[in-house]
Amino acid sequence: MSALHPFSLLAIAAALPAFAWILPAPGGGLATVLVAIGLTLTPGPGSRGAGSTPGWRPGFVTLRTALVTAAPFWLFLRLLHDGPTTIAIGLRITTMVASCVWLVAVLSPDRLVEAMVARGWSLAIAYLFAATLSAVPVLKARARRIVEAQRCRGLSPRGSVANRLRALRALALPLVLSAVHEVDERTLALETRGLGMGVRRTPLAAPLDRAAERVARWTLLLLCLAALIRRLA
Amino acid sequence: MPVRLLALIPVAVAISLALSAAVDAVALPLFLDTTGTILATTLAGPAVGVAVGVLTSAVNTLRNPTFWPFVVVQIIVALYAGLAARAGLFRSLRTAVPAGLGLGVIASLTSTPISYFVFGCTTTGGIALTTALGKALGLPPLGACFFGSFVSDFGDKAVTFALVAAVLHGLPRRTAARFPLALRAMGAT
Repeated sequence: MSALHPFSLLAIAAALPAFAWILPAPGGGLATVLVAIGLTLTPGPGSRGAGSTPGWRPGFVTLRTALVTAAPFWLFLRLLHDGPTTIAIGLRITTMVASCVWLVAVLSPDRLVEAMVARGWSLAIAYLFAATLSAVPVLKARARRIVEAQRCRGLSPRGSVANRLRALRALALPLVLSAVHEVDERTLALETRGLGMGVRRTPLAAPLDRAAERVARWTLLLLCLAALIRRLA
Repeated sequence: MPVRLLALIPVAVAISLALSAAVDAVALPLFLDTTGTILATTLAGPAVGVAVGVLTSAVNTLRNPTFWPFVVVQIIVALYAGLAARAGLFRSLRTAVPAGLGLGVIASLTSTPISYFVFGCTTTGGIALTTALGKALGLPPLGACFFGSFVSDFGDKAVTFALVAAVLHGLPRRTAARFPLALRAMGAT
């Protein structure tokens, strides 16, 4: 599956939840959830996610992640709704969760950026995706270090709400201010590399986009539209 | 778009997502997941804020797919923060906190129909439990759903606005002046 073009993977992951919401419940939701769960069992060699757990085949790890993510929704749905509504909405949410977990497992951000560049998207747009995915773990790690550092300096994050809000300020301000100062360094690096809106570059290893995949993507889109029109008619 | 604003977008998205560590440490019922959107808007205007909001929702979706339909809320937050910044409402906590409370009402009004019609009000555990509390208090289903969203959004947006105001005033004047809207948002021009 991971050999498919990134746009094809995105199209499948978007189409399944769309069908789950458009097709009548519970049959439509049941069909889409079965397809989505089937997909999680075929994450392919590029699967990452939680796949490092020893003793679990990557496909089962992806399936387990999807089921563990979807389970609380079923619990809360049962708390708030009757049986048929729980099943109808639960199947839709499970389809959405399983499709997304599968997508994360099979879609490599590098391949997606290459595909976007090859399709003629601006390098700036591709940069936004790649830089965001790399910046999030860096700042999360910095946030954890700041929490530990402030605790070492005697910050007490417990007590009254006012005390906790003061502690939150002491934790959040250094993180946000340091991140804003980092914008200067990033700007300099990007300007040095000549990056800006409208700049195009040649992709080094553009993913292969077969004619059959392009036809399949358009077919999925037309099927979604047809199902929506039929449902609304 | 200038390169500086382009560089700001991923950083602002990362701020929104990384602040969860600080929130976990103080154990307050807050999300602060619109901090990056509001900060980027006050620094660079609503267009950059909308870009940050959409990207934040996209990255959050990889962790929990139920976030994606709420991208509309991020866009509304960016537009509202843009108006607040142009009005100079980040000049002090006395003006920022009421503006944040106003956003809390608007955000819960926007998120309620999405939460109700798409997810049956089960987007997160906290909201589902407050919705169940609303039902137990005798509210109709949509009213209970609004109650759940309102309880979570009202205080969260006020704290977020206060935090962004504190960040703007904590920035050196020279750094703030490099962004097109920052000084106006702080009421310094």
